[in-house]
Amino acid sequence: MFAYEQQQQSSCPVKAPVEHRFSPYTDNGGTTLAIAGDDFCVIAGDTRQSEGYSINTRYAPKVYQLSNGAVLATGGMYADGVTLVKMIEQRLEWYRHAHAKEMSCGALAQMLSTILYHKRMFPYYVWNTLGGLDEEGKGAVYSYDPVGNYEKHKWNCSGSAGHLVQPFLDNQIGFSHQREKPTLTMERVVQVTKDAFTSATERDIYTGDYLEMFLVTKEGIQKTLTDLKKD
Amino acid sequence: MDPTTRTQQPIVTGTSVLGIKYKDGVMLAADTLASYGSLARFRDVERLIKVGGTTIIGASGDISDFQYITHLLEKILIKESNTEDGHQLYARHIHEYLGRLMYGRRSKHNPLWNSIIVGGIKDGEGGKFLGFVDLQGTTYESSTIATGYGSYIAQPLLRKAVEGREDSLTEEEAIKVLDDCMRVLFYRDARSSNKIQRATVNASGVTITDPYDLETEWGFAESIRGYGATD
Amino acid sequence: MFLTRSEYDRGVNTFSPEGRLFQVEYAIEAIKLGSTAVGIQTSEGVVLAVEKRATSTLLEPSSIEKIMEIDQHLGCAMSGLTADSRTMIDHARVEAQNHWFTYNERIKVESVTQAVCDLALRFGESANSEEALMSRPFGVALLIAGIDENGPQLFHTDPSGTFMRYDAKAIGSGSEGAQGELQEQYHKSLTLKEAEVLSLKVLKQVMEEKLNSTNVQIAIVRSIAADGTGGFHTYTEVECQAVIDQLS
Repeated sequence: MFAYEQQQQSSCPVKAPVEHRFSPYTDNGGTTLAIAGDDFCVIAGDTRQSEGYSINTRYAPKVYQLSNGAVLATGGMYADGVTLVKMIEQRLEWYRHAHAKEMSCGALAQMLSTILYHKRMFPYYVWNTLGGLDEEGKGAVYSYDPVGNYEKHKWNCSGSAGHLVQPFLDNQIGFSHQREKPTLTMERVVQVTKDAFTSATERDIYTGDYLEMFLVTKEGIQKTLTDLKKD
Repeated sequence: MDPTTRTQQPIVTGTSVLGIKYKDGVMLAADTLASYGSLARFRDVERLIKVGGTTIIGASGDISDFQYITHLLEKILIKESNTEDGHQLYARHIHEYLGRLMYGRRSKHNPLWNSIIVGGIKDGEGGKFLGFVDLQGTTYESSTIATGYGSYIAQPLLRKAVEGREDSLTEEEAIKVLDDCMRVLFYRDARSSNKIQRATVNASGVTITDPYDLETEWGFAESIRGYGATD
Repeated sequence: MFLTRSEYDRGVNTFSPEGRLFQVEYAIEAIKLGSTAVGIQTSEGVVLAVEKRATSTLLEPSSIEKIMEIDQHLGCAMSGLTADSRTMIDHARVEAQNHWFTYNERIKVESVTQAVCDLALRFGESANSEEALMSRPFGVALLIAGIDENGPQLFHTDPSGTFMRYDAKAIGSGSEGAQGELQEQYHKSLTLKEAEVLSLKVLKQVMEEKLNSTNVQIAIVRSIAADGTGGFHTYTEVECQAVIDQLS
């Protein structure tokens, strides 16, 4: 052990001033959420980008409207998310050329899983939540882990405050263990989303600045920006 | 066969770079010191460069990697101008290129060990651009950016001075806030020097100042034991 | 006719001065030597029927396979050098499975047809970086039948890599007569049952042997129900006989 340390010291005259070993990964934080309604879907994320205890920027969107009408919320390593979305957009275009139709939400869900799994040994460090409308026009939400394991849900929240918000959604959207299960209007879902993010911002240092929301209906996609606390 | 070699750590390094947006454009500042570990090895290395007619970049981290990047940028700029297709590389294009370059290298586990600030005219439509790229491929835009120790020491001061005043801060005010921040960094960052440069992009083009010395005040040291005071 | 073709039919990658690729044209000729195959599209599904030419009484007729399944919703009939179709059908099957694996949906009939046709012109000398290709064009034509979100469809492919969609199409030695008959008999409101009978009626007219349940093969592609029934189905001898019995 001692000999090893000595050798290390003499092999390089300079001590690394910042970092000892290169890590290809970083966590840029952020929280994302998606909720499926009967004929709509809400996908949202905050816009803060962090690194350690620093805020890089207050506005770096990580929820992307894709060209087939679906919306993908990414979280985790921002650079991997950007790369993944660029690749998905390429694949969507190739699909249009090869099959003369838009990729459906379900097809995209499966494709995303295969894309992620193909990088099983050097994963994209991204937690994805995909939202949109299925072939019948019903709201659809899919959530993924970084290596492509995925599941279809009615609502999902992931990212740095995912564990704070998920039980709140289970209660307010899923009405778990409650007698009444009212149908959700889009207005209600939007309000729950805003409440979820203002609350998450209170406790999670990686969530804040702005809330970007995508409201998907058969009429189209509407994007909104709401203020969150900036501390 | 020679073994493959990869950058495991930076060797000759530059410290913080600062960048802000102001009324007429963007402004960057950096000192001219290139350190070899804790040794102040080269005292007049220019770390702010002009890239084409509308962009400036500043780099902290490994100096040789930055010189290599400079070489790559020169190459693509020549290629682009020889094409004569009316396209021009603006700041946002240089930023995107560097983002892909850095991400590509990190994905090969062979990073270019830098944090880079890109400033200038956004694109053909005009507008200000200030962006960041690092060795992991992380990218973001903001109205104030600082690398290295600057992100801890100068960034809060820059945000206080600039946020919300991007379109009203005068050139004189911009110069003052950057000089002040560089001075604070010189007082606190042991790998910095008081010989600095500023680079500006505005309607009249790119200007990079010759290196100049910041005025510093060490009078207070006389009263501190261990500096000047003897008892 | 062949004497006038001069040297331009030697290479597979040389155009004649009139702008023709003779080897490809000859390959199309080769199909006209093959046994007749017929495809008919209806609103309920697609029928494929082929004649199985028994060259010997000792030949086991069930070993002649000229209609194959590509996927549950895709079938394929062939005529010409049927051995060449193995490459194409293998490719089509892989393409269909890959599509399902990646997108969790059935590949479209046109997409799988396009994929097969992409292979057709990969003959000749290989270019610098490309992998080695086939030495000659395929000598087989396919009738690809299937069903997707656009309903039942029938496509015809030839050795030039061209594909076209048909309501009804005949290929092989008896194709001229068969196509004429289809032209007369086909109408849009044909039911699947009627199309089965028509396909055999057409084959019967152009076959040299007397048509029976062992020297023809029939397959259909229908839509797939929620319980998984439907899709591609090759008729058994009994089912085949039932159709033959309906021929007047």
